[in-house]
Amino acid sequence: MRQYETVFLIAPTLSEEETEAIIDDMADVVSNLEGKMMAKEEWGKRKLAYPIKKFEEAYYVLFHYEGKPDIPTELERRFKQSEAIIRYLTVKKETRENIRLKRKARTGEKEAAVPEKEKEKKEKPAPETPLPEAPEKRIKEG
Amino acid sequence: MAREHRGDKGPGRRYFSPRKKTCRFCESNVREVDYKNVDILKRYVAERGKISPRRVTGTCAYHQRKLTRAIKRARLLGLLPFVAD
Repeated sequence: MRQYETVFLIAPTLSEEETEAIIDDMADVVSNLEGKMMAKEEWGKRKLAYPIKKFEEAYYVLFHYEGKPDIPTELERRFKQSEAIIRYLTVKKETRENIRLKRKARTGEKEAAVPEKEKEKKEKPAPETPLPEAPEKRIKEG
Repeated sequence: MAREHRGDKGPGRRYFSPRKKTCRFCESNVREVDYKNVDILKRYVAERGKISPRRVTGTCAYHQRKLTRAIKRARLLGLLPFVAD
């Protein structure tokens, strides 16, 4: 299970009910795919730093949820379909567990990688060094 | 010849007392920089909307990397400008 944070911007031209409907639809996606909504924030209409799709402001919504990776893909698929959503961003959240896992993976890799390299060094150079000599001699002899 | 140009270490040169700059993120013990916190991010963006370099703000390398990412995310969401004029 991973934690994700998705922010999406809804066009300001929609009525309040339409905006609510979109947010509820998106929240349903999360719950339908067995995700756990951890925070749902509506920042409301905010002025954009630059015009997006010719809109000067947008309605900001943030979802913070936990679940399988199919949730963000489904959400983004819907965002692309809907013309009302003018921008979105999904971010994987670094939770303490994730960091621990990463560290484990890293140290695990190192531990695994070192013996392999050592093995290579021990096994390969040993037969390789005598081998080139032997064929050369044979060629010379031949 | 070249030395004459470079040799402006004379009395005409102005000295600035080196004020020690510290990483504010390290001071407040923050690991990640939040892309949603526009007020903080704005401090690290110059007038035209450019990301301020480390040598100006005194941010440490670790947090500058996090900061850069956060600013770019905020730009994508229209929270910060790509170019401001």
